[in-house]
Amino acid sequence: MHRNVDIKVAVLLGLIGASVFSVPLLTADRYMLRVLTFVGVNVIIVAGMALLFGYAGQVSLGHAAFYGIGAYASAHVVTVFGWPWVAGVAIAIVLTAAGGLLLALPSLRLRGHYLAMATLAFGEIMRVAFVEGKGVTGGPDGLSGIPFPSFLGIEVDSAGGNYWLVWSAAAAVLLIASNLVRSRAGRAMLALHGSEAGAMSCGMDLTGLKVRVFVISAAFAGLAGSLYAHVVGFISPSTFSLHVSVLLVAMAVLGGTRSLAGPVLAAVILTMIPFADAVIPGLSRSAVETIQEWQEDVYGLTIIAVMLFVPGGIAGALRRIAAKGSVR
Amino acid sequence: MSLLEVRDVTRRFGGLTAVDAVSFDVHEGMIKAIIGPNGAGKTTLFNVLTSFDRPEEGTVRYDGVDITSWRAHHIVRRGIARTFQNTELFEEMSALENVMAGAHAVTRSGFLAAALRLPWTVREQREVAEESGRLLRLVGLGEWADAPAADMPHGLRRLLEIARALATKPRLLLLDEPAAGLNIAETSALAEALYRIRDRGSTIVVVEHDMGLVMEVSDEIVVLDRGCKIAEGPPRLIQKDPAVIAAYLGEEEADEL
Ligand SMILES: Nc1ncnc2c1ncn2[C@@H]1O[C@H](COP(=O)(O)OP(=O)(O)O)[C@@H](O)[C@H]1O
Ligand SMILES: [Mg+2]
Repeated sequence: MHRNVDIKVAVLLGLIGASVFSVPLLTADRYMLRVLTFVGVNVIIVAGMALLFGYAGQVSLGHAAFYGIGAYASAHVVTVFGWPWVAGVAIAIVLTAAGGLLLALPSLRLRGHYLAMATLAFGEIMRVAFVEGKGVTGGPDGLSGIPFPSFLGIEVDSAGGNYWLVWSAAAAVLLIASNLVRSRAGRAMLALHGSEAGAMSCGMDLTGLKVRVFVISAAFAGLAGSLYAHVVGFISPSTFSLHVSVLLVAMAVLGGTRSLAGPVLAAVILTMIPFADAVIPGLSRSAVETIQEWQEDVYGLTIIAVMLFVPGGIAGALRRIAAKGSVR
Repeated sequence: MSLLEVRDVTRRFGGLTAVDAVSFDVHEGMIKAIIGPNGAGKTTLFNVLTSFDRPEEGTVRYDGVDITSWRAHHIVRRGIARTFQNTELFEEMSALENVMAGAHAVTRSGFLAAALRLPWTVREQREVAEESGRLLRLVGLGEWADAPAADMPHGLRRLLEIARALATKPRLLLLDEPAAGLNIAETSALAEALYRIRDRGSTIVVVEHDMGLVMEVSDEIVVLDRGCKIAEGPPRLIQKDPAVIAAYLGEEEADEL
């Protein structure tokens, strides 16, 4: 019976993968590809948020800072030092992983609201650093003219190429995350979430566990930051503000706990809301502008509606559908 | 040499001495009971033995090694497992997953190996699932493997916690009131399970209020009262010990002794 379910899931994932992959073959609409590329960037970050929040039960209101560190670090070494893009990605991942470690260590003594406050403060400090560190970050005006990603001297400069690059990275990140949650490590994260005393009694090193999850989620955000910087070509502090951290938490909450699919779907939906006209043909420009103006309220209302009417978020709804399917 | 040597362990909370210079030994292969009125310090003592709490004074030696200042997860990995008076299960996980979590102590696939899904980690995982299934059956919970812990009846939850503790492959198993809330049939099933666990090679220390169970299963008893050890010995002698009877006077258990 389990085998059957596994096959169904594999087929479903294959179909989803194939359709995501084929989008640039079916359309040359640059705006749409750009929006969907941006969705892929957020999927990468939300995979880390899902591990951190949905599995390990740890809250971070500062993940936009890791996103920013990755973006600025990568942009800086490529534009100023002239390093290849791959080195920029590597620096982004290493620096954000180290940042995750630095944030995790003092925060470990904190739980719940206090952990949220510490990560919030970290996010604010980094935002100020992005604004004030003009030498590296370009200050409030940001950095522009960041070159496209390139492999062995070949620039990936088409909208389709960027789309494929970002979604390949997203696929790799999701594979790593899904491997993790199905392993001993994933069980430990859930255990930590369920009962800290229980987890300790199983021989789990709670400190080591929390640090690792923090580091992984930070590194994912760093990778996303690097991709964003080089695909868009321009970054400024507002892209990495508290507002973005809150949006990331919203994706994790809306997506639901103990799930990767839920948060990924939430990331897709929430990222698309302000750019609905990219995928809904005939949606007027003014309708989109109205949505963008009310973006925060739409997010807030969505989250409240989900909490009220869809217990367990998208993941909860998916599980209920799956349960119905297996009864039948 | 004894498996566990507790020496002059003292734990104070402000002005209250919850455990007061307690010493005793646990020899390999026995079932030892710790009894005493509510608030005697039994749970606090367990917390100290497993490094969930730190003593102000005294030492705990296990298998000849001073483990007093070890961290909790190192102690579990060295072979001391425990259950909790108020069960600490992973409610959203299935019974099987709860037991598999216990195997964390004796498996080694880390984050990197898991992220890459190396073949040996998959194999290790499969072995853990099989062994955990066996442990569930050992405590009589074979039918419940797929049920979320939250959905299980109270008495079975205690057995599940024991199975989870066994998954750490303990040489020494500390059980905090395993019979609390169990009916007569469940309690006698528990007694059977305790014998099976001992016969598989685990030494057991059990804190228990059910005197019938204590007198039946234990080889030796330590009696605590207001933090102090007031008696130690085989069940027959403890039942007649004047200090013990005095400590329990006024307690509901007095007539059960
Ligand atoms: N964390 C704590 N802080 C303060 N007092 C405590 C704490 N834990 C236990 N105590 C006190 O220590 C005494 C012993 O408690 P406990 O070890 O739980 O007893 P028992 O398990 O024998 O019923 C009680 O008086 C209890 O109130
Ligand atoms: Mg107690």
